[in-house]
Amino acid sequence: MKFRDSPELQQRLAGEYVLGTLRGAARARFQGWMRADASVRRVVDEWQGRLAPMAEAVAPVAPPRRVWEAIESRIAASRIATGVAPVRAGLWESLAFWRNLALLASGAAAALLGAVMLSAPAPQQPAPPPQIVRVPADVMPPSYVVVLSDPKTQKPVMMLSAMRKSDQLLVKRLDDSIVVPDKSLELWALPTGQPPKSLGLVAMEDKQMLKLSAAADQSLGAIPALAVSLEPKGGSPTGSPTGPVLYSGPCIMYW
Amino acid sequence: MEAAPAEQLSALLAACARRDRDAFARLYRASSAKLFGVALRILRRDDWAEEVLQESYVNIWNHAQDYRAGLSAPMTWMTSIVRNRCLDWLRRPSREVSDPDGVLVENTEADGPGPLDLLSRSSDARALAECLGRLEDRQRQAIMLAFFDGLSHSELAAHLRQPLGTVKTWVRRGLARLKVCLEPAK
Repeated sequence: MKFRDSPELQQRLAGEYVLGTLRGAARARFQGWMRADASVRRVVDEWQGRLAPMAEAVAPVAPPRRVWEAIESRIAASRIATGVAPVRAGLWESLAFWRNLALLASGAAAALLGAVMLSAPAPQQPAPPPQIVRVPADVMPPSYVVVLSDPKTQKPVMMLSAMRKSDQLLVKRLDDSIVVPDKSLELWALPTGQPPKSLGLVAMEDKQMLKLSAAADQSLGAIPALAVSLEPKGGSPTGSPTGPVLYSGPCIMYW
Repeated sequence: MEAAPAEQLSALLAACARRDRDAFARLYRASSAKLFGVALRILRRDDWAEEVLQESYVNIWNHAQDYRAGLSAPMTWMTSIVRNRCLDWLRRPSREVSDPDGVLVENTEADGPGPLDLLSRSSDARALAECLGRLEDRQRQAIMLAFFDGLSHSELAAHLRQPLGTVKTWVRRGLARLKVCLEPAK
């Protein structure tokens, strides 16, 4: 590749990346090179060392108190989650752990629902009776839906959906700040009473189609939850999750 | 607010890596005004700058163990996190900062050597200020507008009323000269 063979080009792009003039697709492409190549990261670090001192000339502005409060509450949430994170490899392979995680994932969703219901204001008038809508079979929405969220922030980060008879799993990224240099994100089905089963690697794209081993009814029908773990580049070398679980969520069939 | 000394910030980051929440609070108190200033200058919207600052500190807390004191100064490391977040934020298509009144260019022109005079606290900053001072005026202006105000090549071209290619050349040559100028100091 031209970029790799040209130290001048690397220097120029790294300088423009750090300065901030490299934008759009060029910036994204350069970030890909950084993830893939430690020598590019080194060149970037050097440029950061050169240019960042300029920030000393920026006038400080005290941020409003709510910023710190928001940071603190996010850190507090992550502390609960990091109680799980530095677990030894043995535990990651244990079924009980993954089963509990699946339970936790659906429990968290239930707790969230409970919180929403409790905090809803008292209705001023009786709720209208439910309306039953009959949807023709050909316009049915995807019937397996999974929302994976980050337990640290409680924010949903990915939404997955599949039609019952299809083996295409649509992965939609909800948070485009998910970036893992030098690593891969691997998606796992967490079947009850069995080891996690890899569904493939998550691409760093807004939308991705993952091919399931069989139609969703067969491959997801009995799966209570999915999770994403952090793995070495290219995916888990062992066929089981080896890194920390970053995101998880219950797998729901709603049609 | 004066920035805290580098050794103190390094020690606080090391304590954050050990999950010391008090150290994190002290780190925030010692650095947030400077970093909020950086974000605000680039994003020019309070709500965006607050959001980016919040994400940046969560990031700093989560990655404190990755900070290597020998490789970069603590403020350099944290500033890079904030600036990258700002630039990634601007990448989303619906978010373009506008400068309808041309305040930006006027300020930068009126600033003249002003911001450079402020670059005297650390030896790194002094060396950088000296090298920036040796650039051609237009190279320096393009580089400072890009760094402080987060302008892209095309935004620079629009603000400086110059063809895109000309502005790109100023930036490229300016950066190359800065690198050479800063070399002996390293």
